[in-house]
Amino acid sequence: MYDSKVIRRRRAALAIFVVLSLGMLTVYFGESGGGALHSVQRGAQAVFAPLETGVNRALKPVRDLFGWVGDTFDAKGENEQLRDEVTDLRERLGESETARHDVRELRQLVGLHETDGFPQGTEPVGARVIVRSPTVWYSTIGIDKGSGDGIRLDQPVVAAGGLVGKVTDVTGGSAEVTLITDASSAVAAQVMPNGATGIVHPVIGNPKDLLLDYITKGRRVTEGTIVVTSGFATDEVQSIFPRGIPIGRVVRVDPDEFEQFQRVHLAPLADIRGIDYVQVLTERGVTTQAGVPAQ
Amino acid sequence: MKRTPDAYLRCALLAIAAVLLQISGLGSGRVLGGYVDLAPLVVAAVAIYAGAVPGAAMGFGTGLLLDLLVGGTVGASSLVLTAVGYGVGRYREVRDPAHGLMAIPVGAAATLGWVVAFAAVSFMLDVGATVSWLVLREMAATTLLGAIIALPVFAICRRVLRPVLLVDPLDLRRRRRAPRDAGPIGLRGLEV
Repeated sequence: MYDSKVIRRRRAALAIFVVLSLGMLTVYFGESGGGALHSVQRGAQAVFAPLETGVNRALKPVRDLFGWVGDTFDAKGENEQLRDEVTDLRERLGESETARHDVRELRQLVGLHETDGFPQGTEPVGARVIVRSPTVWYSTIGIDKGSGDGIRLDQPVVAAGGLVGKVTDVTGGSAEVTLITDASSAVAAQVMPNGATGIVHPVIGNPKDLLLDYITKGRRVTEGTIVVTSGFATDEVQSIFPRGIPIGRVVRVDPDEFEQFQRVHLAPLADIRGIDYVQVLTERGVTTQAGVPAQ
Repeated sequence: MKRTPDAYLRCALLAIAAVLLQISGLGSGRVLGGYVDLAPLVVAAVAIYAGAVPGAAMGFGTGLLLDLLVGGTVGASSLVLTAVGYGVGRYREVRDPAHGLMAIPVGAAATLGWVVAFAAVSFMLDVGATVSWLVLREMAATTLLGAIIALPVFAICRRVLRPVLLVDPLDLRRRRRAPRDAGPIGLRGLEV
């Protein structure tokens, strides 16, 4: 064991170093920037600066190695973080694009009512498409509004652009809409502005093509002409569609030598396969002006 | 350790080399969120080979040099490293460690003590500092790195100090390995 003299000397040495450190701390905090310790610090830095520069250059490869090792370790975590960010941003982008699409569609839907000739006072009920027919053969959609919202059978349904179909089944909170591209669909229509009337029915298997039939050959129909619902009405029967709802635009006319009528091909104005929002016209409304819808 | 100019010179060279390497190269390289800290390792190595008082003196000198060159609060590092050097030196004097891998736990303990105590001093001196998860992670990573590089650092320090050491703990270990004057079961006085 150590004798007491050694122990005292050891403790004294420790006390001296601690007191010196605390004293320097106190002085350093107490003095101004031009004080003794600050001056010594600046002097030491000036003296060692060339040495530091040399060591710094000499150790660059070692520093790079540490940096490479550190980056390698960090890269894994950073990669995961960036992946999470990408996923998050993709989700946000998807939401944003969806919202933009919805806004555009809803604006067009609202704008549809302001087109010339569109029936007024139809009391439209907005609905979201919740079910879509997955094939081109069975053209129906389900919407999230039903009889509880005032929806009844055979009411016309419009979307951004124009007519999309009619209500064929209703429950309390939902309804089924048969589209104008369904095989069973037939809509009394009128070519604007010359007034030639006919029946629009689908070309089965091609939802982007409708056929306007029963247009006599004497009536001139040109490409780009708009076709709207005719809304015919007699004392006994009337079309379920009020007059003036845009249906499609003429894209081709097939004159048949042996037939009495022309075959007019239409492109539906509404995006039948991509609709998300529709409006059910719960009242027949009144057409005040049989004009040409806005382009 | 012998009290000769040669001994002081070797210690001073070790301190200068450690501080220069620290501030010029190794300190800026980050691995696992921590950094290689040579100062506590060199102080601990001197303390483990030379004892408590040389360890405390080495800690004071290394800390002072570090504070002067880094531009930090003069006295803070020297206070903490004095404690580290003294503590490791006392451990050596009391427990007399001689295992070949003792550098690893000693290096880790010295680094941990240094980073924790220096953080405590910094928190006391700097107003508004808070203990964050980042600080704790840096402490843990620095301690781990200290443990990893402790063996080569201690070996270099031992090589530098060996000519001026009165007793080398590792030499004691070697002597224990070959007990020539012991009996067949390793106990004195039981020779057959």
